[in-house]
Amino acid sequence: MTALIQVKGLTKSFGTVQAVTGIDFTIEEGHCVALLGPNGAGKTTTIRMITGLLKQTSGQMIFHGAEADGNQRQLIGYLPQSPAFYNWMTGLEYVIYAGRLCGMTAVDAKKKAKELMERVGLSHAAKRKIGGYSGGMKQRLGLAQALVHSPKLLVMDEPVSALDPLGRREVLGLLRELKQETTVLFSTHVLHDAEELCDDVIIIRDGGIALQGAISSIREEHRKPIIELQLEEDDQSQRWLSSYIAQMQAAMQRNAESSLIMEAVLNDNIARFTVKEIEAARQSLLEDLTRERVKVRRLEVGYTSLEDLFMKVVTA
Amino acid sequence: MSVSAAHNGNVEKRSFNRTSEIGRFAAMVEKELLELLRSFKLLWVPLVFILLGIMQPVSSYFMPIILEQAGNLPEGVIANMPKPQGAEVLAQTLQQFGTLGVLVLALVCMGVVSGERNSGAASLILVKPISLYSYIGSKWTAMLVLTWGSLAAGYLAAWYYTGLLIGSVPFKDIVSSLLIYGLWLTLLVTLTVFFSTMLKSPAGAAFSSIGCIAVFSLLAGIFPKQLGWSPGALSGFAYQAVSASIMKGDYFGWAIVSALAIIAGALAAAVWLLRRSSSVE
Repeated sequence: MTALIQVKGLTKSFGTVQAVTGIDFTIEEGHCVALLGPNGAGKTTTIRMITGLLKQTSGQMIFHGAEADGNQRQLIGYLPQSPAFYNWMTGLEYVIYAGRLCGMTAVDAKKKAKELMERVGLSHAAKRKIGGYSGGMKQRLGLAQALVHSPKLLVMDEPVSALDPLGRREVLGLLRELKQETTVLFSTHVLHDAEELCDDVIIIRDGGIALQGAISSIREEHRKPIIELQLEEDDQSQRWLSSYIAQMQAAMQRNAESSLIMEAVLNDNIARFTVKEIEAARQSLLEDLTRERVKVRRLEVGYTSLEDLFMKVVTA
Repeated sequence: MSVSAAHNGNVEKRSFNRTSEIGRFAAMVEKELLELLRSFKLLWVPLVFILLGIMQPVSSYFMPIILEQAGNLPEGVIANMPKPQGAEVLAQTLQQFGTLGVLVLALVCMGVVSGERNSGAASLILVKPISLYSYIGSKWTAMLVLTWGSLAAGYLAAWYYTGLLIGSVPFKDIVSSLLIYGLWLTLLVTLTVFFSTMLKSPAGAAFSSIGCIAVFSLLAGIFPKQLGWSPGALSGFAYQAVSASIMKGDYFGWAIVSALAIIAGALAAAVWLLRRSSSVE
């Protein structure tokens, strides 16, 4: 397994604002990596630096062991968030042009462009002016022009965020095929997309990396048992619940180590307890509930989802 | 991981015949010209120049009749009006190109870089492995084709009608004045490309470049001794080249050299400006 790109201490500041504050990560060849984070976290800035469109304030990017000097552009295919083309060109002409800019001969570029237009499902519109394309078609055209020189790394900025559900599904389907063939890096603020497509995820927040790793291992490592409890809405039950939570929180503060419950949150009349040992916690809770004759509506035992982790990481 | 191993194999095999930087540059020039053609600029800009070129000899020819029809001149004035020389008419034509022609060219070129940058189309092009010199250079080349083509068409039309209606002018005078005047318009177009890279607003770019050209001309006109070597003197040299045998003083050579230096400087500065915002190359 070789590293396609290594990023070390990448920083970008605009005036006094630090958009990206020294991030490090490595993308392995053949992996699909999601750059995940809320709006304004620095995803687009990072991506633009990788593609060479933006000069970093400091830090290094190493492609195949060589420092980035602009030649990395040969390795990269880039699809921006809302790609702008020349509206007076036809779709096919644009992809051919993109190919020729990457150093292909006119004949090679034409052959490859036709193939790609077919592949992204635009062959019926290949001879139409780009000005008349819909948002989803432009996104697919953007993919075709990014892939024309068979790049080693496909970089995409929010590839599906601006699309309607149908267009989204089309593009996600294409990406699922593409990640079999090339290394993919894309940014998104939708956890679900990352979970569906990617091997690795890099979660960034306020310009820094909050968490990174393989999705499966993150899920494994950060999975914690939780108990969700919902009671009837009569006064007695609710009173008991709030006193129980207060009691638990006090116990946690007194002795964090031995307490069964690590976190207790009450939200919309649903109490969520993050627990250490599921068996002991469940037992103790059930005993308390029966002793106090609390009217339980719902009691659920499960595990934290990636969504919970994401929310916790980006809002912490 | 078998998938990625298979994929690596594919990548090694995919190599296609690469064209050189020249090939990419040619592709970009081709695209710019196609854009000029599809937007009909390659049609109407030469037409404007041809119209301007024809108007001068025709209006000079009919001037006595026009004045007669206006009818408020004393007897004998019209009969005694000297007929203009062919060379004079052509010099006046160049002056027409210097006002309306300059305006048209600046308006056509003003959004050549800023338009693509504002729409975001430039970022899709600049991530491709191309040199910024090719990017600016291709736009500049296409604009020069338009400028020289329009100027030549308009000026030759003027020459033809002057020959028909007023009096013939030797072709070599036409060529020399055309070359000198072309350099003057090249300077204008280059400055417009530069300002279009520097400023976001196309109107600002047109205004700035026309302003520069006007200041050049004005300075060379006010201080002909001190600034006769400046590019602003070029249009004057072009009028001379056609109307009288050119007074090839020491200054003429210097005016050409200074114009070429400014052109080269403006192109380099445009590339520098573009690179400052990105790390490409």
